[in-house]
Amino acid sequence: MQTKEVPMREISQEELAACNGIDGAPAWVAYQGLVYDVSSSYHWRQGRHQITNRAGQLYERGLNAAPHGPDLLERFPIVGRLSG
Amino acid sequence: MARVAREMVEMTGINVDELLELLITNAAAELTTFYYYTILRANLIGLEGEGIKEIAEAARIEDRNHFEALVPRIYELGGKLPDDMNAFHDMSACPPARLPQDITDVKAILQVLVDAERCAVRGYAHICNLTAGKDHRTYALAQAILNEEIEHESWFSEFLGEGPSGHFMRRGETSPFVRPFMPSL
Ligand code: HEM
Ligand SMILES: [Fe+2]
Ligand SMILES: [Fe+2]
Repeated sequence: MQTKEVPMREISQEELAACNGIDGAPAWVAYQGLVYDVSSSYHWRQGRHQITNRAGQLYERGLNAAPHGPDLLERFPIVGRLSG
Repeated sequence: MARVAREMVEMTGINVDELLELLITNAAAELTTFYYYTILRANLIGLEGEGIKEIAEAARIEDRNHFEALVPRIYELGGKLPDDMNAFHDMSACPPARLPQDITDVKAILQVLVDAERCAVRGYAHICNLTAGKDHRTYALAQAILNEEIEHESWFSEFLGEGPSGHFMRRGETSPFVRPFMPSL
């Protein structure tokens, strides 16, 4: 359930890709058009999550068969909308 | 390393190096949890805490058993534990199960415990999904561990008022599911 107010800021693919969580960069992930900031999460240290998932990417087709739903992601702040 | 055993897994299309990383980071979660649960258990005292101490101890010992049971499979598949224990701690698949700010808040301690178990349940469910019908030995091991993690989750969530766990706590021996993977027990 998306109940948070979504900032209107548009985020480009390039900006998303730069926020890969590596060496101090913020860790952002895009899911269903929205960009979330997971920088504060233990689970996304260095932009890496459960070996195979990376920050700075768009998860268009769901969460890669994750053993959880999007609710875990929706607890994190939304940075804006992915443009394009 | 068991060369042909690894080859059998590779032939199913599983990326064995990624699988090994999952097994190692989950082994790290088990050993670190064993450590952090020692502190949580020590602080489960008083009228409220004492009633939970016993299951926290069972969960603690079983997590150590999970570590022990994972290690042989890691080496069989050609992996190894890191030389540096600090590095091993820091790669844990789940965050440290630290004491809450208020160490007398038994409910907060229970929340730490249930969160740790839920992370483990998800982690082993994922390993089962990856290996089902392919890597039979890792699957059987991860499934045995998953059985125990689900019990741990249900024990603690019962105390948090989320409804009955549906079973009793351990009587006698620990690790009824993982025991076959630990010939030393
Ligand atoms: C191979 C796929 C994946 C696996 C195995 C996986 C596994 C996990 C596990 C075990 C947890 C911990 C849950 C808990 O503590 O109960 C978690 C948390 C989380 N996952 Fe995933 N996940 C996967 C894919 C994804 C993807 C694609 C995203 C987002 C695009 C994502 C976002 C999150 C978030 C935001 C959390 C919560 C982190 C926190 O609370 O600090 N996961 N995941
Ligand atoms: Fe465990
Ligand atoms: Fe556990």
